[in-house]
Amino acid sequence: MKHVVVDPVTRIEGHLRVEMQIDEGTGKVIDAISSGTAWRGLELVMKDRDPRDAWAYIQRICGVCTTAHALASVRAVEDAFGIKIPKNANYIRNIMAASLTVQDHLVHFYHLHALDWVSPLEALAADPVATANLQTTVLNAYKLNVTGYPGISTEAYPKDFPKSTPQYYATVQAKIKAIVDSKQLGIFAAQWWDHPDYKLLPPEVHLMAVAHYLEMLDKHRELVAPHVIFGGKNPHPHYLVGGMPCSISMDDGNAPVNTDRLAIVDRSINTGRTLINNYYIPDLLAIGSAYVKAGRVDGGGLAKKCVVAFGAYPIEEYNGTTNGGFFKKLLVRCNGVVENFGTPNVKFIEFNQEDLQSPDTISESVDHAWYEYDKQGASLHPWEGETKEHFTGPKDGTPTMWKELNAGGKYSWLKTPKWHGKLAEVGPLARYIVIYQRNKMGLLPDPTWAEQMMLQQIDMVSKLLNVQPEVWMPTMVGRVATRGLDCQLSAEISKFFFDKLITNIKSGDTAVANMEKWEPSTWPKECKGVGVYEAPRGALSHWVNIKDGKISNYQCIVPTTWNACPRDDKAGHGAFEQSMIETHVQIPDKPLEIVKVVRSFDPCMACATHFYNAKGEKIQTVTTDPYTGTHVEK
Amino acid sequence: MEKRETMWESYRRRGLSRRTFIKGCVALTSLMGLSSGMVSKVVEAAETKQLPVVIWIHGHECTGCDESFIRSAAPLASDLILNNVALEYDHLLSAGSGEPFEEHLEKTIQAYNGKYILAVEGAVATKGSGIYCMSGGHPFLETLQRAAKGAAAIIAYGTCAVSGGIQSAAPNPTGSAGIGHFIGAKDVVNVPGCPPIPEVMTGVVMHVALFGKLPPLDSQGRPKQFYGNRIHDTCYRRPFFDAGLFADSYDDAGSKAGWCLYKLGCRGPETYNSCGNIRWFQGMSYPVQSGAPCIGCANANFWNQGPFSDRLPKYGPLGDIDKIGAGLAVATTAGVAAHGVLSVYQRSRRDAEAAESDEVKGGEDK
Repeated sequence: MKHVVVDPVTRIEGHLRVEMQIDEGTGKVIDAISSGTAWRGLELVMKDRDPRDAWAYIQRICGVCTTAHALASVRAVEDAFGIKIPKNANYIRNIMAASLTVQDHLVHFYHLHALDWVSPLEALAADPVATANLQTTVLNAYKLNVTGYPGISTEAYPKDFPKSTPQYYATVQAKIKAIVDSKQLGIFAAQWWDHPDYKLLPPEVHLMAVAHYLEMLDKHRELVAPHVIFGGKNPHPHYLVGGMPCSISMDDGNAPVNTDRLAIVDRSINTGRTLINNYYIPDLLAIGSAYVKAGRVDGGGLAKKCVVAFGAYPIEEYNGTTNGGFFKKLLVRCNGVVENFGTPNVKFIEFNQEDLQSPDTISESVDHAWYEYDKQGASLHPWEGETKEHFTGPKDGTPTMWKELNAGGKYSWLKTPKWHGKLAEVGPLARYIVIYQRNKMGLLPDPTWAEQMMLQQIDMVSKLLNVQPEVWMPTMVGRVATRGLDCQLSAEISKFFFDKLITNIKSGDTAVANMEKWEPSTWPKECKGVGVYEAPRGALSHWVNIKDGKISNYQCIVPTTWNACPRDDKAGHGAFEQSMIETHVQIPDKPLEIVKVVRSFDPCMACATHFYNAKGEKIQTVTTDPYTGTHVEK
Repeated sequence: MEKRETMWESYRRRGLSRRTFIKGCVALTSLMGLSSGMVSKVVEAAETKQLPVVIWIHGHECTGCDESFIRSAAPLASDLILNNVALEYDHLLSAGSGEPFEEHLEKTIQAYNGKYILAVEGAVATKGSGIYCMSGGHPFLETLQRAAKGAAAIIAYGTCAVSGGIQSAAPNPTGSAGIGHFIGAKDVVNVPGCPPIPEVMTGVVMHVALFGKLPPLDSQGRPKQFYGNRIHDTCYRRPFFDAGLFADSYDDAGSKAGWCLYKLGCRGPETYNSCGNIRWFQGMSYPVQSGAPCIGCANANFWNQGPFSDRLPKYGPLGDIDKIGAGLAVATTAGVAAHGVLSVYQRSRRDAEAAESDEVKGGEDK
């Protein structure tokens, strides 16, 4: 038995450590630990803030899925105050949410995950002529020609196409060779490049994918241009409780939004569609199908046991989340839970507003998290969450020099969220499983164009791989593939809401903000609200309590907390740990398969490590005033 | 790992012409806000100085700064990372992980002792000897101190690294602070912002790469090229402020017309940053242009200066803009005078806050 640690796990957001016990003879992972190793305490910072500012603070949970927390936050505060936002604000927010998903997924595939599948060193052996031919083959075989949103096209022809000349690939290859020869590998340094997994694909696939890695590094910025137009910047665009700050006027050259500005958004959306359809999807399916053909259908995590999604994209403005308004206007009705996917006992349960509030539905335990409850072993609904931090250090080592964490005790700053006492997986895979299963059981009447597109995507991939969805979906490859499909869908959704925005402005409606309840005098003395959003990484929810015009409690349940949580003594392992346990490791000292399967979740640790209570005690104050200097008050 | 090539060598290796190289230098010169007469100096620097190694470490942060960095358009992210610096250690982009990656950090620190640039993103968690921010099995605080020792230059990227940022806002649960007090006597380039503008982040690295020294800094360690002006001074809506034309509410006629957002709480008059001139995404926009008042994200301690809807006169001796708007407009036409007034007002506001700091100790945010 070998104890193996990977810390830090890189190419993710935040600080993550994984540990495994591996049987060296068989390569089987006997036990695995997923530990969030940093905690910032942002919910404590939220206490007593102005609820109209909450989005700005809580958006800083994460700069990778920037905007996700801001959106969930304004939705929660508007739910608490009973604010209905204007149509345009709903469309604009949806365009921003969809553009985030497009950019975030694309960056994940090429810049955070690709180097687990392809290697710049393997690319050196490629023949540039064969690579150019391969590019053509890949475009012919793996481009997924789905029926997207049938809107008005403003684009004459796709502006970005993969280059397939031998000269291009020879140039890229020469560049890679020069980097390798210089012995300064830079970002390519210190990887397990001699791992046998890199031999699964021919050298030409490596060269093609590395070339696209470089191209997308310079292109991805264009995909979030809508954030810069509507929110002023990215990362961390600006939002507004009651709508959006970006007023629309076709009469003013200085207006935040006019024709010129909308044209920039339109261009960005077209670029997104093109990059996904011509680069991302073909690359993804070419690599993914090679893995499936090689029998690599492991790493399913909790996809076969329990997946949860909240539902996505309100088509029109709605009247609150707590009262169920949100769930009645969804473009993608993935609000549901699927248990035992792919087995005869498969179950679909619709998720709605009652589930957000019932203490029996969502609860959290801290058996293995560095907190303690008054009642040991309890599971508490976030509304009643207690927090006493209780750092116990590692099993082997010191509090500031860890050798091995304590699998039998506490080992992470993440709590363990549960659905009816069970652990669950969230994310694009969960969304696609819910839509697929819901439809299969006849519970998805009159599918929207977006739902039809999802079903068509699943069907086309199944035919391409020549296996049933129940086989390919609940695997690591399935998790990665559905993220790509989600990306393709999101680009179409951006276009859908852009067209709605134009149509509505055309009808004479330019309102972007409802300011009726802006002044604190219009607020109830005490209220609470919920905001949900299917973020790129899965089901996100924010809860806010407001008392006397200030935030009295703020809570988030974040996708990566669902997936990366420590084990629960009754319910077992979370999705990260389960997926590691199901993954075969060829060389225990070089656990490439492990980091690959962990990264297939697109971990966002800064999101995950927050606890659910605003009753913290002051520890110390650090003053950083430029006039008085920085000092720490004990 | 021994050899480092110059920018000119790198251009030659890529088969690019001398002309392309000079063009690149001209672009960099203008990017760094230098006069055209500086081109020859840039060319000389790029030819003769070695390419720098960059080590980028992460404390308590959200990775928004890293994300901003890779959105740079001039220089392009790929050009910068693959040809102008050797980014040997970075949690977001580096291929490696775990033990070999940590070994590579140590080897790089040794091999380039006294020569590498240390980029720091995120705050230092000080409480409990640093247990709230662990990486590689030890506190980030230790990594920072170890890496700072051999650094030729240290760049604090973002408001978190500069002054503690969001996690240091009251009640600062993890005792987080900026890096300044934990790196010995080293010079630091402070690049505040939440996050900073992409081209500001890459421009600082390029300056060090080309000139082999830190860019000229102001009294707070910020590069003068990028933080020399208040957003208010460079704001395209400034004429409306001077003329007394304001948006009174979001989405009103003034908002649609693109008038000044001062009355909605804009912090442009106290915020030194390049949002007004460089703007985001190569001049595409900045919060004010998109109708959103500046929240002052490049200011130390700005998270404790809410609510953001409170406009500046509420803090200081200037009184209510509604009453003194005309007088202020007259004063600001003098420009210099206005700058003086606002500087005095900012200072007095901060002094007042320092006096109130006892109240903050109750764990209450104001």
